Amino acid sequence: MNFSKTIGALALSIAIISCSSDDDAMENLSNQTGELTVKFDNAVGNQDFIFDSSFSKSNGESFKLETLKYIVSNIKLTDENGVEFEYPTRDNIFIIDEANANNAGEIYVELDNVPAANYTKISFGIGVDQTRFAQGAAGQGDFLTTAQDAGMFWSWASGYKFMRLDGTYSDATVTDQPVNIHMGSVGTSLDNYREITLDLPNTSRVREDSHAEIHLVTDILQILDGASSLNFSDGYDQVHTNEIETPIIANNFMGSFSVDHIHN
Amino acid sequence: MILSDMKKYILFALGILMISCTENDLEKGYEPILVTFEKPSNFPDLVYNLDANPLTEDGIALGKALFYEGDLSSNGAIACAFCHEQASAFTHHGHTLSHGVNGNIGFRNAQPIQNLGFQEAFTWDGAASHLDLQPIIPITSELEMNETLSNVIGKLKADEGYIIMFSKAFEDGEITSSHLLQALSQFMVTMVSSNSKYDKVERNEGTVYTTIEADGLASFNQKCTSCHAGSLQTDQSYRNNGLAVNPRLNDLGRYNLLEIPEDLYKFKVPSLRNVAVTFPYMHDGRLSDLESVLDHYASGMVDTGTIDPSLVKADGSLGIDLTAYEKESIIAFLETLTDQEFLNDDRFAEF
Repeated sequence: MNFSKTIGALALSIAIISCSSDDDAMENLSNQTGELTVKFDNAVGNQDFIFDSSFSKSNGESFKLETLKYIVSNIKLTDENGVEFEYPTRDNIFIIDEANANNAGEIYVELDNVPAANYTKISFGIGVDQTRFAQGAAGQGDFLTTAQDAGMFWSWASGYKFMRLDGTYSDATVTDQPVNIHMGSVGTSLDNYREITLDLPNTSRVREDSHAEIHLVTDILQILDGASSLNFSDGYDQVHTNEIETPIIANNFMGSFSVDHIHN
Repeated sequence: MILSDMKKYILFALGILMISCTENDLEKGYEPILVTFEKPSNFPDLVYNLDANPLTEDGIALGKALFYEGDLSSNGAIACAFCHEQASAFTHHGHTLSHGVNGNIGFRNAQPIQNLGFQEAFTWDGAASHLDLQPIIPITSELEMNETLSNVIGKLKADEGYIIMFSKAFEDGEITSSHLLQALSQFMVTMVSSNSKYDKVERNEGTVYTTIEADGLASFNQKCTSCHAGSLQTDQSYRNNGLAVNPRLNDLGRYNLLEIPEDLYKFKVPSLRNVAVTFPYMHDGRLSDLESVLDHYASGMVDTGTIDPSLVKADGSLGIDLTAYEKESIIAFLETLTDQEFLNDDRFAEF
């Protein structure tokens, strides 16, 4: 009896093994590409981000925002075999603008011609890296116009704003004081470009006949209440190109991103 | 009768010639004629990366057209050349501060456009770190050209002449902001001033200084070159040279960039090429002639906190000791930096 059970189990496992290896052999991924949507979903702690709503910080200050946007670039995917795919550089730069979100507050970045694979990691940069910037106009393509139209390029200096938050803050003593946090690199003198790599909770299967999605959540509270806790009242209500403040904002912002879930 | 028939005939022939000429010009298409950049032998290495933006005849011609194009501004009247006139080495002749659309006044003195391919950063505070991206500042400044890149592109796309010029200057022929800026850079990179008397002496081309010019050079080397260094007379650093703060402008200088307290009131050490024709002087044009500039260094400096150490004397007082003859001879030397060939070069002229 036992013997036949063992045989049965063995036979079954052989069947499973051969079945799955058959599947792999049959699924030829080479020369196959698919589409991948990366969804950015802004949040404040456990709440969805909403314009003009008041959110609280740990120090008792509260804030409301009317502008929330940032530049994402150099999106790269790593598959289960460690093979990396970087989206073509010229098109690999996006403005994530809460004002362009759908009713669910999601902003879509659509990537096409992504090689079919089972991806396990996503990486991307916040802002514009020095290599791209150093290429001058030739390296910017139409993004210069896009960024300027979006208010993401300084008019008094030739640089991109990597992130901007505009709104107001209030605390026990002041009400609705202006908040303008504009962080970017300053030419080659100050490099605030940062890269983030996130593991995917399960593999993102990019295939020709399906549409994969990676849903990211951006907790903007981390910008203010993250690795460093920042007080508006200490001068973080107005941040522009300051050499000390902007790298702190950039580092905090890195902690804002997480993968919420995957759709295959 | 015969004569007038002849005239008609000639006119007719001329007309055909002109038409065929124009038609040739109107042909679209990218057939680049590469232009080699020749660095003057007494110049430092080129900073501008030509590999990313190779010079072509049509690219340079487009850049020149754009440099003189009023449509880069919101009211169609303020071209780059409005504040950058050739006769003044592409500065705003005699104006302390640059002017913009609707009579607006900027807050700095227009800097010369010459030898920019050799500069690492641009504007008085170095706010532009790439030549291609520098024009965005005046184009979008409300006080200057007050325009957006997308509006400029829209206007150029509606202009048949520019449709043809872009098609000849760039492989994909598209009218985009990056092509606009690349063409402007191509033109500006060719704007090299290197044929002053100073250059001819440096390159041993048979010219020699007069006595007073030679004395001036000696004093200049002794008292000015710690900042105004090299063949372009600038070490490209930012320094506070002791100008009193003008409360109306309260220009914080390079501090605006990174908000570092040590950068307060620091401005870029300018090149002195063609300095005799680029008056008035300093970031806000407050000094009207070279005598005033040297008087400032000799006795006019005030302590605004971040004064350059090279301008502090051993006894702690500020300035550079200059005798009357030293001033006079330094000015005689500075006049040898005027490059008439550059100031009159048809390649850069509007007409």
